[in-house]
Amino acid sequence: MGPKILTVDDSKTIRLIIGKAFKSFDCEVLEACNGVEGLAVAAKERPDIIILDITMPVMDGFETLTKLKSDPDLKGIPVIMLTAEAGRDNVLKIAKQGVRDYLIKPFKEELIIDRVSRVIDLKPKGGGGNKAKRFDDPIRVLVVDDKPAICDQITEGLKDTTWSIVGKSTNGEAVDYCNTHSPEVILVSLSLHESAGFTLFQMLRTSQKTKTVPVFGLCVKTAVEDQARAQQMGFTGIITKPIDIEELKNKVARSLSLDTSYKYFQLKTGVLNILLPVNFNNNVANEVSAHLRSKVSEAVDSGIDKVIFDVSQLRAADISLIKLGLEVIQLCAELSLKLRMLGSEIVSQECKKYEETAGWRFASSFDEAVAQLSNKDLTHA
Amino acid sequence: MTFPMKIDLEKLVTSVFQDVFMTSFRMNMRMDGPGAYLLNGEAHIAGAVGFIGDMTGVAYIYLPVSLARRLTSIVVGIDEADVDADEMINDSVGEIANMIVGGFKGKLSQSNILCVLTIPSIVRGSNFVVEPVSDTERFVCSFRTETNQQVVVEVLIKPSKPE
Repeated sequence: MGPKILTVDDSKTIRLIIGKAFKSFDCEVLEACNGVEGLAVAAKERPDIIILDITMPVMDGFETLTKLKSDPDLKGIPVIMLTAEAGRDNVLKIAKQGVRDYLIKPFKEELIIDRVSRVIDLKPKGGGGNKAKRFDDPIRVLVVDDKPAICDQITEGLKDTTWSIVGKSTNGEAVDYCNTHSPEVILVSLSLHESAGFTLFQMLRTSQKTKTVPVFGLCVKTAVEDQARAQQMGFTGIITKPIDIEELKNKVARSLSLDTSYKYFQLKTGVLNILLPVNFNNNVANEVSAHLRSKVSEAVDSGIDKVIFDVSQLRAADISLIKLGLEVIQLCAELSLKLRMLGSEIVSQECKKYEETAGWRFASSFDEAVAQLSNKDLTHA
Repeated sequence: MTFPMKIDLEKLVTSVFQDVFMTSFRMNMRMDGPGAYLLNGEAHIAGAVGFIGDMTGVAYIYLPVSLARRLTSIVVGIDEADVDADEMINDSVGEIANMIVGGFKGKLSQSNILCVLTIPSIVRGSNFVVEPVSDTERFVCSFRTETNQQVVVEVLIKPSKPE
């Protein structure tokens, strides 16, 4: 549970604005509509900070503050005062009360986030003990590029995902979007006029809302100076143009620690199917390997004792496949699981060439593999 | 105590009004100049906040309910269609009036004119007129949104007593 923020304001609108401002942070926003209610909530909930309006019915902000400061249990809670009255007398009166800070309405959302984050540690939602997002969960991707074709290309390339792509062409538009929509990944062109992409990165890193959001620089492969500058500044990574969509997906998934295991581990008719995709490479092998033990254990725990290692989409056997195959065989042996391999004739022939894989036998269809697994004499591959 | 010249009042109200709309709604409000609020049969809403002290009076902000709904949706961060309660719109318009008059009060205090504010109140309807009593100093200024919707600020000031 994150920190508690108590907003005490007679205006529901202001309470809603404050609630909205902190929506994307791991914190709890509590509400009270006057000083009396505010003191009661403070005593019960012990908030980490109070945002206190001055002009309120029943008990105004000054009286509330006096009572807070005279209560030994509550006097240590930092208070930020909120007022629509910017008059000098008012500001002086606030300053004398020993409050941590004050804000004059109207205020921008980012200003209140900034002031509050100076007092308490605010962390964006989703960065911690929360359940990891899956690759097929909706992800908001902001593309900042003055060439609409780039955004179109990314949108087209990612149309098989549930990710939403929004294109903005200027820093101002991008910052406005970030303030209202909290994108989860930002791709910034490094070739924007007057190094605007680098300026935007600095702005993103100073805003509480975006300071931990992965930001990738977009540039052509030959723009080595821009790439070096971006890496030096702390960009999450570089995506080179022309954009390799698979590379983009992998980089985004890694930056967000997206769970991709569902793509490779599927439960089908009482069997755990480990499916290698057509674009199998060393990165995919590492991904599968990283999830292998936990996913197989999960399956065993739920009563599964049969595994199919499905390489039927692959057109060739390479060292990555061999290493992964051996890992799967070893794990299945450890756990006394029945294992069958499923693969094409080409892969089968290639495997015969290597000592480690010469004994591998492949079923030619899923049903055949399942039938073989049902054979009582079979222990493991 | 002498009141500020009318031109100062216009400048002061305009700057506070435009600042509130830009900060809260990112809306650039175009000044129409002095002028009355044009009731066109549409439902309207007015937020009022009084000020009492070295200067005493009341300020009204008039706008169509459709615009008030839009402003509420922006400020609260929900879709316009989800702004379903009049109470929410009333509260937002009251807060807008409060912020404008609060800013107005702040500017006055720079000239050592001190006052306190009343709580906001709301008037709704499709045909109403606020008429000042005689001798009241009145200032009316009309603004337009980018979509040409009218918002009017009216300030009524009680004449000062001879010192």
